[in-house]
Amino acid sequence: MATRVVVQRPFAMRARRWARTNLFDGAWSALLTVVTVGVLGFIVFATARFVLIDAQWEVVLANRRLIFLGRMTAEDEWRVWPPIWLFAALAGYSLGAWSRVGPRGAAASAAAVLLLFALLAQGSNGVRLAFGVALAVAAYALAHAVLAGGRREAAGRRAVIAGWALLVPLTLAILLGFDGVPTARLGGFLLNVLLAAVGIAAALPIGVMLALGRASTLPAVRVAATAYIEVIRGAPLIAWLFIAWFVLPDFLPPVFNLNRMDLVLRAMLMLSIFTGAYIAEIVRGGLQSVPRGQVEAAQALGLGGFETTLRIVLPQALAAVIPALVSQLISLWKDTTLVSIIGLTDGLGGAEAAVAQREFFGRHSEVLLFAAAVFWVVAATMSRLSARLERRLGVGER
Amino acid sequence: MALSLATGRTLWRSRRTRRLITQAAFSLAVALLLLYTAVRAARLDLGLGFLEERAGFAVGHQWLTSYTADQSRIDAYFVGVVNTVRLVIVGLVLATLLGVLAGVARLSKNWLVSRLALVYVEIFRNTPLLIQIVFWYTAVLLRLPSRERGIHLLDVAFLSNRSLAIPWVFPDGRVLPWLALLVPSALAAWFVHRRRRRAEEETGRPGHANALALATLLLLAVAAFLVTGMPLDVETPQRLGGEGVSVLTIVGGMQVTPEFAALLIALVVYTGAFIAEIVRGSIQALPRGQAEAAMAVGLSAYQRMTLVILPQALRIMLPPVTNQYLNLTKNSSLAVAIGFPDLVFVGQTLQNNAGHAVPIFLTIMATYLVMSGLIAALMNALNRRVQLAGR
Repeated sequence: MATRVVVQRPFAMRARRWARTNLFDGAWSALLTVVTVGVLGFIVFATARFVLIDAQWEVVLANRRLIFLGRMTAEDEWRVWPPIWLFAALAGYSLGAWSRVGPRGAAASAAAVLLLFALLAQGSNGVRLAFGVALAVAAYALAHAVLAGGRREAAGRRAVIAGWALLVPLTLAILLGFDGVPTARLGGFLLNVLLAAVGIAAALPIGVMLALGRASTLPAVRVAATAYIEVIRGAPLIAWLFIAWFVLPDFLPPVFNLNRMDLVLRAMLMLSIFTGAYIAEIVRGGLQSVPRGQVEAAQALGLGGFETTLRIVLPQALAAVIPALVSQLISLWKDTTLVSIIGLTDGLGGAEAAVAQREFFGRHSEVLLFAAAVFWVVAATMSRLSARLERRLGVGER
Repeated sequence: MALSLATGRTLWRSRRTRRLITQAAFSLAVALLLLYTAVRAARLDLGLGFLEERAGFAVGHQWLTSYTADQSRIDAYFVGVVNTVRLVIVGLVLATLLGVLAGVARLSKNWLVSRLALVYVEIFRNTPLLIQIVFWYTAVLLRLPSRERGIHLLDVAFLSNRSLAIPWVFPDGRVLPWLALLVPSALAAWFVHRRRRRAEEETGRPGHANALALATLLLLAVAAFLVTGMPLDVETPQRLGGEGVSVLTIVGGMQVTPEFAALLIALVVYTGAFIAEIVRGSIQALPRGQAEAAMAVGLSAYQRMTLVILPQALRIMLPPVTNQYLNLTKNSSLAVAIGFPDLVFVGQTLQNNAGHAVPIFLTIMATYLVMSGLIAALMNALNRRVQLAGR
């Protein structure tokens, strides 16, 4: 075996060569580079000047309760923490079991944690936050230990999946149950999170049923499912939210006080109905991607229609569309801001309420940038994880 | 078959019967739900007569309409429809341009350019559109100087927090003859194009069909323009009143309100980011051999892009881009957040003034269905053309 001698050229030389191929590859490229540097320089300079010098971030600090929790009373604040801890533990274990956190991911997480501490940690909240972070790290380490040990891997996986499935119901129980927060007082980013989580959890079964309905061979079922999907997708979400606001109470049956359902719950209901139609179209794509041979093989084995759908077709169809479902979740997460238009105090509503106070009048840029950053971090994280998942699914046994 | 019909048990078991019963049960459930809805709705006034009554409120931001508060509610709604259509048309064109530009830039060999495009896409795609709209409106456009201290750009455009005034062309009475003369000009250009193309096919020498046809069209159009006495007037915005005058007004040109501008910018930038990803994905989905073959034939980078890559990528990108067009159309309804009177805003105002929520929302939905249907039909027609051309 011949020894390969790698000659490392001096850094300056490598840099010059890199710049020649990547920045100054001909006159056109050089011109582009110069123009881009100008534009980029201006944007970076203006942003840095605003963020570091001109902006007065007190408006965010002083109103963080309003922006994160809305108008929830201080006595109920403890109810937020157990769900966060559960989430931290589940996220930590899942990351450890199914993925790896590289140096960049670790750095980003550390930065996020530091920022969260700077923002939220006063008194006991700091301790609670630290407990959450510790849980996440411990769960991550545990997952690695379990993987290395090679035993109980399946048990761990089952526990985590059960945990994820129970997260939303448990959160709702802790927040609203036991004389908890009245739904009308739910607000801030907490409301955005709840709307998105409940919305996607409720929309998934609706969407699967609609997709199966649209693919059904029974004409009556197919027509009804198609009509639902197309009507819902035909009008913008804000029109549906206005309907939830003004029209829905007239049409809800007067049992269990359903007709007095408050606006937060009506918005949740409407978001689920709305997202269901979009998920149906995604799942339909998945159903079409399952080869016919699968159905035929199932029939040859003697499985009935219901069993074939449930055990053979749906698992493959759903696995194929996981990335699309995650983008739908991201889109729903961003769309939850629309409830601020119908008068709810979600994260954006809270931010706007903050600048309505006299001492913070006109500080729109600060609160809006902050709210945008929070939404961005969550959405970008989800899209990263989804891209990683997509690659894994693509490399699978197929 | 006859045997299975003979015994009741097999009849019940037969696939056909089961299907019928399932469908009947399902239809019954849907019918009951609809009946319930109808019963609830019957207590409400569902007539559309109220739309004929006097509206009684003014609508700002009018364009091509001259509606006053004394006109009927349906007229007010129509102003909203025109506003939405105007926003959507301009938005679609600009978002497509920005999206294609950014999508191609994402794949640029220039590292800085591709990074800039990546940062643009990542930031704007993952942030809620509503926040972007409110940001452009309250944090950027309303922060521009007041009209008295507005920014005068090169004496042609005028920016202030009340309006963005840009030069615009206005037709006068002689525009119709000019437009009529454009038809024979276009015919002549088409004729030139056909002849040159045929000559090119016969002789094998480049016929420059496109360039010559364009030159013919331009030449004839300009000539007709001069003959009919220049029927288009370019108007630049002017200030009325100057130093010492308390109220300043800007007249002339195209005056765009900050509400319209904020919505347009936000919709274009947001949708452009999504289109950029679609364009990038479609180009990357092409086999590498296409670009390599084009290079081997000796096409320049620009020719490679416009003659080989983009036409093929177009086939892949049209369906998802159509989806984005529909999204932009529906997203234009976020106008309500900053008070731009699009059709949802006007409908909402009507509902506040007159009640009748159900008929108003049904009208709004019908309007969107018509608009979405039109866009989808146009794009599907285009899609069919493009798909056929390749086979």
